[in-house]
Amino acid sequence: MSPVQPAPPALPASATPFRTRLNRAVRRWRGERTAYGLEPFATTLRALERTDLRALADAELLARARALRGPTPDETAVFALVREAARRALGLEAHACQLAAGLAMVRGRVAELPTGEGKTLAAVFTAVWHGLSGRGVHVLTFNDYLARRDAAWMGPVYRLLGVTVGCVQEGQSAAEKRAAYAADVTYGTAKEVGFDFLRDGIALDADPCVHRPFHAVIVDEADSVLVDEARVPLVLAGVDEGGGPDVRRVVELTRGMQRGVDFETDAEQRNVFLTDAGARQLESALGCASLYDGTNQGLLEAAHCALHAHALLHRDVDYLVRDGRIQVIDEFTGRIMEKRHWPDGIQAALEAKEGMDRRTRGRVLGSITLQHFLRLYPHLAGMTATAQAAAEELQAFYRVDVHVLPPHTPSHRTDQPDAVFTHQAAKRRALLDEIGRVHATGRPILVGTLSVAESEDLAAALQAAGVRCAVLNARNDQEEAAVIAEAGALGAVTISTNMAGRGTDIRLGGSDERERAAVVALGGLYVLGTNRHESVRVDRQLRGRAGRQGDPGSTRFFIALDDDLFRRYGLTDAVFARHGLQRRDGEVDHGGLRADVEHAQRVIEGQCFDIRHDLFRYSNVVEQQRRLVRARREAVQRGDPEARAWEAAEPQLYARAVARWGAARAARVERNAHLLALDRAWAEHLCWVTDTRETVHLVSLSGQTPVVEFRRWCTEAFARRMEQMDQDLTGALAGVLAREDAALDELEHARGPSSTWTYLVNDDPFQSGFELLKGGALGFSAIAAGVYGPLLLAWLVVRRWWGGKRGGKPA
Amino acid sequence: MATAIANMFRIPELRKRILFTVGILAVYRLGIFVSTPGVDRHVMKQLLNQPNSGSFATLFNFFSGGALERLSVYALGIMPYISSSIIMQLLTVVIPTLERLNKEGDQGRRKVVQYTRYGTVVLSIIQGTGIAFWLERLNYQGNSVVRPEWAGWGFRFVTVVSLAAGTAFIMWLGEQITDRGIGNGISLIIFAGIVARLPNAVIESSTYLREGLIRPFTAVGLLIVSIAVIGFIVFMERGQRRIPVQYAKRVVGGRSYGGQATHLPLKVNTSGVIPPIFASSILMLPASMAGFAEWGWLAKVRDTLQGDGFAYHTLYVLLIIFFCYFYTSVTFNPVDVADNLKKFGGYIPGIRPGKATADYIDKVLTRITFGGALYISAVCVLPSILVQQFNVPFQFGGTGLLIVVGVALDTVQQVESHLITHHYDGFTGPRGPRIRGRRVSIPGAPVSP
Repeated sequence: MSPVQPAPPALPASATPFRTRLNRAVRRWRGERTAYGLEPFATTLRALERTDLRALADAELLARARALRGPTPDETAVFALVREAARRALGLEAHACQLAAGLAMVRGRVAELPTGEGKTLAAVFTAVWHGLSGRGVHVLTFNDYLARRDAAWMGPVYRLLGVTVGCVQEGQSAAEKRAAYAADVTYGTAKEVGFDFLRDGIALDADPCVHRPFHAVIVDEADSVLVDEARVPLVLAGVDEGGGPDVRRVVELTRGMQRGVDFETDAEQRNVFLTDAGARQLESALGCASLYDGTNQGLLEAAHCALHAHALLHRDVDYLVRDGRIQVIDEFTGRIMEKRHWPDGIQAALEAKEGMDRRTRGRVLGSITLQHFLRLYPHLAGMTATAQAAAEELQAFYRVDVHVLPPHTPSHRTDQPDAVFTHQAAKRRALLDEIGRVHATGRPILVGTLSVAESEDLAAALQAAGVRCAVLNARNDQEEAAVIAEAGALGAVTISTNMAGRGTDIRLGGSDERERAAVVALGGLYVLGTNRHESVRVDRQLRGRAGRQGDPGSTRFFIALDDDLFRRYGLTDAVFARHGLQRRDGEVDHGGLRADVEHAQRVIEGQCFDIRHDLFRYSNVVEQQRRLVRARREAVQRGDPEARAWEAAEPQLYARAVARWGAARAARVERNAHLLALDRAWAEHLCWVTDTRETVHLVSLSGQTPVVEFRRWCTEAFARRMEQMDQDLTGALAGVLAREDAALDELEHARGPSSTWTYLVNDDPFQSGFELLKGGALGFSAIAAGVYGPLLLAWLVVRRWWGGKRGGKPA
Repeated sequence: MATAIANMFRIPELRKRILFTVGILAVYRLGIFVSTPGVDRHVMKQLLNQPNSGSFATLFNFFSGGALERLSVYALGIMPYISSSIIMQLLTVVIPTLERLNKEGDQGRRKVVQYTRYGTVVLSIIQGTGIAFWLERLNYQGNSVVRPEWAGWGFRFVTVVSLAAGTAFIMWLGEQITDRGIGNGISLIIFAGIVARLPNAVIESSTYLREGLIRPFTAVGLLIVSIAVIGFIVFMERGQRRIPVQYAKRVVGGRSYGGQATHLPLKVNTSGVIPPIFASSILMLPASMAGFAEWGWLAKVRDTLQGDGFAYHTLYVLLIIFFCYFYTSVTFNPVDVADNLKKFGGYIPGIRPGKATADYIDKVLTRITFGGALYISAVCVLPSILVQQFNVPFQFGGTGLLIVVGVALDTVQQVESHLITHHYDGFTGPRGPRIRGRRVSIPGAPVSP
C-alpha cells in the first residue's frame, strides 16, 4: 500500500515565469478574481495530510459520516472520510490537486483541473459535502453516458459513507426520476435536469413532479455547459393538434431552386431569402398573384421554411437520418440530441425534404435559458480543463470565480505550431501525408474533424490509402467508450468529430495499457486537428487529450485559409490581402500569419460572447415573468386561499358548484381550470415573445434601443394577458356549470407527451459606422456639427457618393 | 405622471443614479468658477460682450455655458473630446488596424475609446497652447487680458496645463454620469451648460419688467409661447410614421393569430438637431472669413446677411430644409433597410421586397422629411423673430431649445427603461406589485383571445 502522499510544496515563485506573473498581476488589477495554485488551501491540505483513517473499520466510517450530517459539515473531516472511502472502495489515491479542486468547488468556484487529473473523483468530495447537508446536490455531466458511468463508478464510495446516489436518464419514468432526485447526490445532464424542471412547471398536481427544491449543483465541463451551450434556450414543446402550413407542396417546388438565381443566403449562412426570380417562379407555380400582398402569409412562411431546410441544413452535418427519423446533431458536442428538433415549420420542411411523413408538431409550453436555470441554484460550482479563457464570462453571468490548479504531474505535451495552407485540397493532402508518415512508426493518432461528413470523408480516404482507422462520430456515439478506449493503442488511428474532446480518458497502449512502454517511446499520442473551432476552448480540449497525467504527447492543427471559420466571417480575403498570398500547394510559413489566425479566432469568440450577452439581456425580463407565473402556479397547487379565483370572484356561482359536486371536487376543478388557463396564457406569451424578439430590431431605425423597447412591450403584453386570463377564468365558471359533467372531465384530463426543441437566436442586424452623429449623444452631435460643420459636410458628401460607387457603405 | 415620479424614487438603484447625476452636474457647474490663473476676467467679459466679436468665440461660449468669458479651466469645454472622436472615426475608415479593432466587438471598441481619450488630452494641449497665444494678443481698449505679472512662458505653461486638466476633468465627469448615473454624460453636461443661463435670463427679464421696458402682457405672452414651443417640440420629436411590416420567417408552434404584424418606425424628424446647426455654421462662414480676410465683396455679403434681415431668415430656412434632406439621405439608406427586411423574411404587405420596398420607403421618407424640415425651421426662426419684435433680453427657441428638449426626452426614456427593468422587483410579495406601469400601445399584442 502506498504511503500517504505529502502535499506537494507550494509552487516556488521562480517556477512561474515572470511574464505569467506579470500577466496575472495586470488582470488582478483590472478586477479579475481568478485564484491560482494550492496556497489558498494550505491549512486544510496540511490538516488532511496529518489525518489517517486507515485504522477505522467500515462501520465506523459510516457512523462518522452520519454524525457529520448537518447544514455545513466540517470540510477537513468530510474530505478525510471521502479520501479514505475512495482508497478502500476504488483503490484510488486522491492527490493534493484533486483535494484542492474539491475545496475550491465547496467554496463555490469553478476549478480548472487539467485533463486526466481525475475530475470525477474531485467532484465526489464536493458532492459528499453537499450531500451530507441533506438538501441534495446535482452533479451535471456532459452526456447521459457519462452520468451513468460516473454514478456507477463512484457508487461504492458513496455507499461506504451512507450517502445515497441517484442517476437521471432520458426516458425514465416519473417515479424513477423522483427517487433519483430524492437521493443525496444525483447525477444527470444539464439538459435533462432542466427539462424535468420545465415539465414540473406544467404538471397539474404534485404527482408527476420530480424535483425537490434546488440546493447545490456541480457542473462538469463547466465552460461548455455554462458558456458554449448557454446560447441555446431549453424549450419544452407539447403536442398540438391543428395549425401549421402544409409545406410539402412548397418543398417540392423549392427542390429545384438554385442559390444565386432563385434564392440567396447571407454571408454567415444563417438566413435565406427568395430573389425576385424565385418569388415569381413560386407564384406562377402556386397560382397566386403575389406572395407579398398580405393574404398569402401562410404560403410565404412555408416557402421560407422550405428554403431554410433546403439551403441551410445539410445532411450529415446538421442532422442525421436514422431509424426513419431526423436526428439533430448538436453543434458543440457533436453528438445526437434525442428528442430535439427545429421549430415546427422547418422541421416539417426537413421531413418533407427527406421524404418522410410529418411527425412532430409542437406548441411551446415552457422555456428557460441554461443561464437562468443554473442561476436558480443557491450554490453553483463547476470544474473543467479550460476555465481561464471563460473567466470573465463566468464572472459576468454567474458571478462565480475561477480557481486554476496545477497538474499533479507536470505536462510533457508539445504543441507544435499550426500548419497553414491556402486551400482545402493542399491541407487535405498534407494531412494524409502526415498521418501516413506517423502511422508508419506505429504511434497512435487521434484526428479531430469538424463534422460527421468530414470525419467519414477522411476515413474513406485513409482506407483507400491502406491505413486502417476507426471512426467515432454522432452516428456511432454508443460505441464511444469502446472506440476511445483503444485510441491509445499501438498503430491506432481514430478519426472523430469534436466529440473526442471530452469524455472517456485515452490511456496509452490501449485500455489496459499493455503497450504503454512502446507508445511512450514513440512519443505518446499524436493529436491532429483539421480545423480551428469557433471557440478556443474546444481546441484546447482537443489538445488536452494528449499528454494526460504527465504522459508525453504532441498536438498539431492543420488550417486552410478557406476553412468554414474564415469564410463564414469573411476573413479569408482579408488575410490573403494582408500577406499577399497566392494559392499554393505547400505549407505557408509567413511570420504574422499564425498570429492572424489566432486573432481571427479571438474575434469570432468575441462575437459569440456578444450574442450570449444579447440573449441574456432579452431573456431577463421573460425570466422574471416566468418566475412570477411559477410562483402563482405553486400557490394554486398548494391551494392557498388568495389563489382561489372562483371562490373569491363569484361566490354564489361557486356555492352552486359546491352544492352540485361536493367541495373537494369543486376545488379540484377550480384548481385545474386555473392552472390550465395559466399555462395556456404563458404558452401564448412565449410565442408572442419569440416573434417580437425577431422583429424588435426595427425600432433602432427611429433611434430607440431594441432591448429597452422589447422590455417595455414584454411587460405590457404580459400584464394585459394576465388581466385577460383572469377575466376569462371567472367567465369560465359559468360555462362549466352550464355544461355539466362532460366539461368536468375535460378539465381533469392529463397532458400529452412532450418533446423538446432548441433554436438559435438571431443577431441584431443594423450596424452603421456613423453612430457619432446619429440620435444617440444629442449634445455631442450638436457641438460636433456646429464647430466642424463644413468639414463634416464635405466628408459626408464624399462618403455618400464615393461609398456609393464602391458599392456600399465603407466601414 | 405623479405615480411615475413616485416610482422613480421608490427604486433604490434608480434613486441613487438620479442623485448621483445631479451631484456630478453640481460639481461641474461649480468648476466654472475656477479660473485660469493669470487672466483678467473683467477685461475678458467686456471683450466677449461686444457685438461681432468673432462668432466662433460666441458659439464656444454658448456651448460651454459661459466658461469662455470667465476663462475658467473649462474654457475648452468638451470640444477636444468631440474633435478626438471625430478624428478617430475618420481614421477608422482610413487605417485598417482601427477598422479591425472596431469590428472586434466589445474589446476592440474599448481600445478605440481609450485611444480617443489619449487623443483628447493631446488635442487639448494643442488647443490650450493656441488659446494661450491668442490670449496674449487680445486686448480690449488697450488693456491686455493677461495680467502683467504673469506674462511670458510661465503663463503659457500654466494655461495649457489648466485647460487640459479642465477638459480631462469634464470628460471624466461625463463618463461617470454615463456609467453610474442616468443618461448620456456628455449630452447632460452640455444640457447643463445651456440651461445654466436660464436663471440669469429670468432675472434679467424680471428686471426689464420692473423697469417697464417690456409690458407684463408681453411677458406673459412670451411665457405661454415658450411653453407652447416646448410642447410642440416634444410632440414632433416623438412623432413617427409607422409603416406596417409583416414577417413570414418561420412557424413556431400553433399560433392562434397569423403572421406577426409589426411596423417600421420612421421619425418625422430623422436628422435631429443637426440641420439648423449646419445651416448656421454655413451662414457664419462669411462673417468668420471676413474677420480674417479683408476682401470687399466678403464684407458686403456679411452685411447683407446681418443677423436680423429678411434675407438672413429666408436663407436660413432654405438651408435648413436642404440639410434636412441631405442629412437624412446620408444616414438613412432605404436600400439597406429594404435588404435587411428581405434578409429576415419581412415585407410590407402589398409591396414586393427588394427595390420596390426601397422605393416605397424612400417616398414615404421624402414626404415626412418635408414636414420635419418645416417644423425645425419654425422652431428655429419664429422665436428669434419674436425676440426682435418685442425686444426681449434672452434667446429662447432655436437650436439651444431643441438640444435641451432632446436631451431631456432621452433622459426620461432612460429613466423609464430603468423603471421597466425593475418592474418586477418585489412583485411576488404578499402585497403584490409595488409599481404600476404606464399604458403603451404594442404591436401585435392580443386584443381579444
